[in-house]
Amino acid sequence: MNLSPRQHWIGVLARAFRSELLPHEDALRDVDYQLIRAPEIGMTLVRGRMGGNGAPFNLGEMSVTRCVVRLADGRTGYSYLAGRDKVHAELAALADAHLQGAHPSPWLSDLIGSLANAQAERRAQKEADTAATKVEFFTLVRGEN
Amino acid sequence: MNAQRLQPAFVDPVLDAQRGFRGALKALAEPGLIQSLPAAPSLEGLAPATYALCLALLDMDTPLWLAPCFDTPLIRANLAFHCGCPLTTNREEAAFALLGEQDLLDLSGFDHGNDRYPDQSCTLLVQLTDLEAGRALNWRGPGIKTQRQVNLPVPQAFWLERQRRETFPRGLDVLFAAGHHLIGLPRSTRIAQEHA
Repeated sequence: MNLSPRQHWIGVLARAFRSELLPHEDALRDVDYQLIRAPEIGMTLVRGRMGGNGAPFNLGEMSVTRCVVRLADGRTGYSYLAGRDKVHAELAALADAHLQGAHPSPWLSDLIGSLANAQAERRAQKEADTAATKVEFFTLVRGEN
Repeated sequence: MNAQRLQPAFVDPVLDAQRGFRGALKALAEPGLIQSLPAAPSLEGLAPATYALCLALLDMDTPLWLAPCFDTPLIRANLAFHCGCPLTTNREEAAFALLGEQDLLDLSGFDHGNDRYPDQSCTLLVQLTDLEAGRALNWRGPGIKTQRQVNLPVPQAFWLERQRRETFPRGLDVLFAAGHHLIGLPRSTRIAQEHA
């Protein structure tokens, strides 16, 4: 799947832990901004497809939090994330707005880079843990013929 | 870019939307009585009461017909963002219509509902500059004990246009808004033509 850079960083910000964003809070909030849509909690219906390509079915509902901010220079940052963490949603929206600047490089390398690395590590760790529990089933050939 | 024009809407989305809905409900329940929406946000081109009604009533299931005078990029962007309502250029499809004073002379095309579902008619939101600067008319009908004197500044031709389209239970409900105030004119209200 091809992701635009913005899709990538919005995904990284949504998956990050709140504790990973809090150290950047002062820098993120250090601008004039207003809340276009204050952080709000809602529900969204998760749909799935059996095997990834079957008929869609409703899996269930999950809580999401969303937020939209606008910086004084007109950049608008959006965030949608799983869960009910309004502070996280506001920080993620602010980060999205900052990243859209003409020179987003400091934020991209400092924030998104480290968050993405941490997430990749967590994922690898989990996959390794899961792989260790893998059981290979096999059947002995029964001598029936 | 559209996003640059986005403005914050209700301070408290849940309670303010409920206040807007309550205001519309009371306006239609007691025709001609002025209701106020003190906490409504404003948007360039839309009066606070008009905008509050839009925010409270419109969502993705209610196609909106915008009069040309309200069809600005700013209003389009903010309605699309905060309400998510589809805009239509086809009057027949509209569940709500946003009109200015000059659009009152031609109400053709709007859905009047049908005898089985009169509730499916289009509701007109009309923005005026004032609600009390017009000629006094006596209103009668449900929600009014005997009669009520209302001074809406609308052209005489509007009353004829409305009368021509009334085939109860079908008809058009109108909400007039100006500043922070609104007045409801449901289809059941009868207007006495003589001077009060």
